[in-house]
Amino acid sequence: MTTAMSLATNAQRLVRQPLRGEVWPPLADRHAYRVDADGTPFVLPGMGGVTLGVHPGDVATGYAADHLEPGLSVRHRSAGPNYALQFLSCVGNRVTVRSGPAAGATGRVVGQHAYVLADLAESDLEQVASGDTVDVLACGQGLRLEEHPTIVVKNTDPGLLAGLGVHTRDDGRLVVPVAARVPASAVGAGAGMVSEYANTDLMGAYAGQGDDLSLGLESLRIGDIVALEDQDHRYGRGWRPGWLTIGVISTGHCRLFGHGPGPSSLLSGPADAFHLIDEDEANVRIAFAAMDGAA
Amino acid sequence: MSDWTPVATNLGGIVETPELASTPHRLDIDGKPYVPTGDGGVVLGVRLGDGVFATDADHAAPGACLVHREQPARHALTSYACLGNPVTVRTGAAAGEHGVVLGKRGELGRVIACFEPDVLERLAPDDAVVVRGYGQGARVPGQHAVEMCNIAPGALSLLPIETGGDRVGVSVRATIASRVIGNGVGRPVEQWDLDIQVDVETAAAVGLVDLVLGDLVAVDDLDVRHNAGYRSGYLTVGIIVHGGSPQPGHGPGLMPILCGPADAFDIRVDAAHQGLTEAALLGYRDQ
Repeated sequence: MTTAMSLATNAQRLVRQPLRGEVWPPLADRHAYRVDADGTPFVLPGMGGVTLGVHPGDVATGYAADHLEPGLSVRHRSAGPNYALQFLSCVGNRVTVRSGPAAGATGRVVGQHAYVLADLAESDLEQVASGDTVDVLACGQGLRLEEHPTIVVKNTDPGLLAGLGVHTRDDGRLVVPVAARVPASAVGAGAGMVSEYANTDLMGAYAGQGDDLSLGLESLRIGDIVALEDQDHRYGRGWRPGWLTIGVISTGHCRLFGHGPGPSSLLSGPADAFHLIDEDEANVRIAFAAMDGAA
Repeated sequence: MSDWTPVATNLGGIVETPELASTPHRLDIDGKPYVPTGDGGVVLGVRLGDGVFATDADHAAPGACLVHREQPARHALTSYACLGNPVTVRTGAAAGEHGVVLGKRGELGRVIACFEPDVLERLAPDDAVVVRGYGQGARVPGQHAVEMCNIAPGALSLLPIETGGDRVGVSVRATIASRVIGNGVGRPVEQWDLDIQVDVETAAAVGLVDLVLGDLVAVDDLDVRHNAGYRSGYLTVGIIVHGGSPQPGHGPGLMPILCGPADAFDIRVDAAHQGLTEAALLGYRDQ
């Protein structure tokens, strides 16, 4: 298939599967507190359940929150089906609420974070609660870019890349508009894990804390497309000079040290296979609107 | 900060039985599958002083990994065991023999203990052990800016570390940038080591081509006091407790022992660096 932006893929060979999950409640433990980088204890919401008021395009940091997961946090209660849900759900996949007052409402997958994270309109989110059933129409794992054999694609709905303006340049490189470039020093928890599950926490984005913790990443927004320098995420997540990974910021503010706003991995390959364009508006919000318009 | 008196605890554990998933393969950084060997349990043929890439194994440690069957107790065993702590074997063919704690590994938690080679040959999975845990909460003698973890205070004498001056002097194999640290960032270092993301081909570029088990390595811009994470101007010193791994984001394991502002240290990168030796560790008798 060749899109208007000239990007040949095997999208027509991919199958779609509905995968069932439920909105998983936030979890806490008996001792309540965690501590931040400075040893200050905190008890803050953000992870699990339904997190209101934060959507793609909104700033990712600056909230009184920890491991902020915008929208719905979805998993399956059994291990095997949950791995299928987590591994096969892709950014941009359609999400449908199946029970509760919001049944029938739809949205899209923004990323993974040991939960599938789904963005819905705020008026729909207001009606969803933990325990509500959610289906993801999973499609995208196995996607290939026919003209870019060194680049591995993962966690990516076949319709997402065109909406992000990703295309092949005359010199054969893959053009990717990015909202930010992230130094390898920022990579925190998530290093060494498989790249179809959870995301890569970025340090250096502790808005409101000390300058010595900053890597200049406090202005990241939810849904931003970012380039992770010297990262090879093709078969896991590792530091590798000369390699590049493109991700989408799917989680927000963290207080827990070594954690932070996190990209879910989308594209990974040798850095010279890419041609990055710095574009402030490179965000899945634009791509989702394009996908909704095309549907 | 006040100086409280550390206490010792006797911790029960067993020698680990290695585990694999129903599909045994893992993937290396280029997607090539391999079957991991030496990842936990008793590992024979690996000793302190060996090169970290000397075996074709995955996270192989020089000795035996100790665990507890109950996960919370396993976390406690891992948290409280410190370098230099004595280990006594209670059951099995090596009952009555002694070993010494080298370090620890992360995720579910493992204590790495060294034994004389003839004792290690007789150790088997499920053998009961007792670790005399002592060291967490201790302070570096005479120093206030540098914090210490994962090591019995007396065991500092086994390492090329000088605490008598204004600054803490440390001889290391290399000083590396925090971006080279992979799995373990964002985790509590009392329960989890830090994997250095290099292999036999990429180690030279960061000064680790000659890295051996027991070496000390310094990491710039890394603060491990409340989880491991990036903080400019901070420095962490650790000891190499396990060998390399083909998995992306993994590699030789660094267990942090000292952390503080970089200017509180006098770090010397030394081509003739001599870290912890097997003779020094096995000859050590903690208080």
